[in-house]
Amino acid sequence: MTDFMEMIFEPLRELFMQFKAFLPGLLAMLVILVLGILLAKAIKAILVRFLTAVNFDSWCDRMGFTTLMRKGDLWTKPSVLAGVIVFWLLLIVTLMVGLSALKVAAIDQMVGQFFGYMPRIFSAAIILVIGYVLSGFVSRAVLITAANSGFHYAKLLAETVRTLLAVLILAMVMEQLQIAPSIVLAAFSIIFGGIVIALSIAFGVGGIDAAKRVIERETAEKRAEETKDEIEHI
Amino acid sequence: MSDFYQSGVITTLHQLGKSSLERLESELQGFARTRPIALVLPALYSEFEGPAMPGIVRELAKVKYLNEVVLVLDQASEQEFARVREFMSPVGGEVRIIHNKGKRISEIYETLKRNGLDPGPQGKGRSAWLAYGYVLARAKSDVIALHDCDIVTYSRELLARLCYPVAHPSLDYVFCKGYYSRVSNKMNGRVTRLLVTPLVRSLQQLVGQHGFLMFLDSFRYPLSGEFCMTTDVARTNRIPSDWGLEVGSLAEVYRNYSSRRVCQVDIAATYDHKHQALSADDANKGLMKMTVDICKSMFRTLASEGVVFSDGLFKSLIVTYLRQAEDTLVKYEADATINGLEFDRHEEARAVEAFTHAVALAAQAYMENPMGTPPIPNWNRVKAAIPDIFEMLITAVEADNK
Repeated sequence: MTDFMEMIFEPLRELFMQFKAFLPGLLAMLVILVLGILLAKAIKAILVRFLTAVNFDSWCDRMGFTTLMRKGDLWTKPSVLAGVIVFWLLLIVTLMVGLSALKVAAIDQMVGQFFGYMPRIFSAAIILVIGYVLSGFVSRAVLITAANSGFHYAKLLAETVRTLLAVLILAMVMEQLQIAPSIVLAAFSIIFGGIVIALSIAFGVGGIDAAKRVIERETAEKRAEETKDEIEHI
Repeated sequence: MSDFYQSGVITTLHQLGKSSLERLESELQGFARTRPIALVLPALYSEFEGPAMPGIVRELAKVKYLNEVVLVLDQASEQEFARVREFMSPVGGEVRIIHNKGKRISEIYETLKRNGLDPGPQGKGRSAWLAYGYVLARAKSDVIALHDCDIVTYSRELLARLCYPVAHPSLDYVFCKGYYSRVSNKMNGRVTRLLVTPLVRSLQQLVGQHGFLMFLDSFRYPLSGEFCMTTDVARTNRIPSDWGLEVGSLAEVYRNYSSRRVCQVDIAATYDHKHQALSADDANKGLMKMTVDICKSMFRTLASEGVVFSDGLFKSLIVTYLRQAEDTLVKYEADATINGLEFDRHEEARAVEAFTHAVALAAQAYMENPMGTPPIPNWNRVKAAIPDIFEMLITAVEADNK
C-alpha cells in the first residue's frame, strides 16, 4: 500500500520540486517584462519628444521618408513611428532577456541566436536608410542633369536609376539579413547581368554606325598626325 | 438679355442673343482635347442634404467635356464620406473626393503646419487650395473651374460659359470670373451691392485712380464664387483662408497677370444660393464677419501696393463710404421699382449701417495689425519646402477613394 502511495506521490513531489526550481526564474521573467515594458514606454516618450524638438519630422518630410511611410499607408508622424519601432524593439529585447531568466537550455540557445542576429538587423536598417537617401539624391541629380541637357525622357531615366538602385539596396539588405542569400545573389546577378547584356546588345546593334564613325574618326586623326610629322628637326 | 457695353479694364463677355448650350458644349469637347478641364467643388456635407447638390449632380452627369472632378468634402464623418462617394457616382469622368476631415488629409495638413506652411482654418479657401494642389499633382488638366455647391438654380450652361473663355485656345485668357444678377422676388447680394462697390468708389475718391481699385471696380460681381483659370494661375496664386478669399484671389490675379488676360462672363440669368444672416450685432459671424474680412483684405492689398493708410484717411473713408452706400441704395430702389421687385428700404439701410460699422472695425484691425493673417502659400513654395508633397497628396486621396 505504502509503495502504491509512493508511486502516486513521487511524480507529484518531483513536479513540485521542478516547479519550485522554475518559480524564481518565472518571477524574474515577469519582473523583467514589467520593468522592460515601463522602461520601453518611458524611452519611447522621451525619444518622441526629443525627435519633435530637433524637427525630425520636417527632416523626414524633406528627405522623402514621410512619403515612403504614406505609400505604406502609415499616416502617423515619423517621430511617433520611430518611437513605436524603438518601443517594440525594446519589448522584444526585454522578452528575450526575460526568457533567458527561465534557464531553459532550448530558450537560451534561441536567445543567443537572436542577440547574434541583432547586429545584422541594425546594419540592414542602416543600409536601407542610407540607400534610400542616396537613391533619391542620385535619381534627382540624374533628372536635373538629363532635363538640363534637353534629354526627352529625363523623368523615365531618373525613375529607372531609382528603381535599379532600389533593387541593388534591397539585395544588399536581404544579403545582410541572410534571407535566402544564394537566391538573392543569383536573382540580383541575373537582373543586373541581363540589363547590362541588354544594353550592350542594344548599343551594339543600334550603335554600329555611331561606333564605326567614332573609331574611323580616331584612326583618321592618328593617321593625319603621323603623316604630318615628316620633317626631320635638326 | 444684357447690353454689350465694355466697362473697366478687363473684358466683359455678355450673354447676347439666344444661348446655345449644345454649341458651347460641343466646342468645349474639342478644346478639352488639348486643354483638359478639371472642375473643383468645395462642398459641405450639409449641402448634399439640401436641394442644391442633388441638382448640381444631376446636371454634371450630362457634362461630357470634364477631364476630372475634384470635390473637397468638409464637415463630414467617414459614413457621410462614403455616402457622398455613392452620391457622386452618376457624374462621368474621373471623380475624386477629398475627405478634408479624414485621417490622411488631416495628416497632410499637419505635415504642412510643421514645415511652416499653415493652410489656415477650415473653410472654402483651404478646400479650394488643396483641390488645386491635387489637380497640379496629377498634372492631367490645364484648366481649373470652380463653383460653389450651394447653387439652387444650377444649370450646366453656367459651367460651360465659365470654362469657355479660358479653355478656348485662341482667346488667351488666364482667369475668368462669373457674374450674374442675384435677383429672386427681390434684390439679393447685399455685400456686393452695398459694401464692395461703394467702398471701392469711396477709396477711389480718397486715394485717386489706383490700378487695383480700377481692376476691382471692373468686375460686375467681384464676390461671385465662380471662376475659371489656367493651372499656372493656381500654381502661383496665394489664397486667403478667410472671407477675403474672393477679393484676395482677385488681388493676386491683378498682381501676377495683365488685365488684358482677365475677363468676366455672364453665366446665369438667375442665381440663388444659401443666404447668410446679417448678424449686425456680432462681428464674428454671418455677413458681418464676411464684410470685416473683405475690408481687411482690400486695405492690406492696397497697402502692399503702396497706399498709406492713416487714422485720418480711415475716418474720412467711413464718412465717404456711408454717403456712397446711401446713394447706391437709392439707385437700387429705383432699379427694383421699375422691375417690380420687392425692396425693403429699412432693411437695406440697416445693412448699410452694419457695413459702415464693419468698415470701422476692419480699419481698427488693420491699424492694430497691418500684416494680418498671411494667405495660404502658393504651391510653388510648398513644393520647394516639401519636394514630395504632391506624391503624398495623391497617395492620400487615392487611398481614401479606394
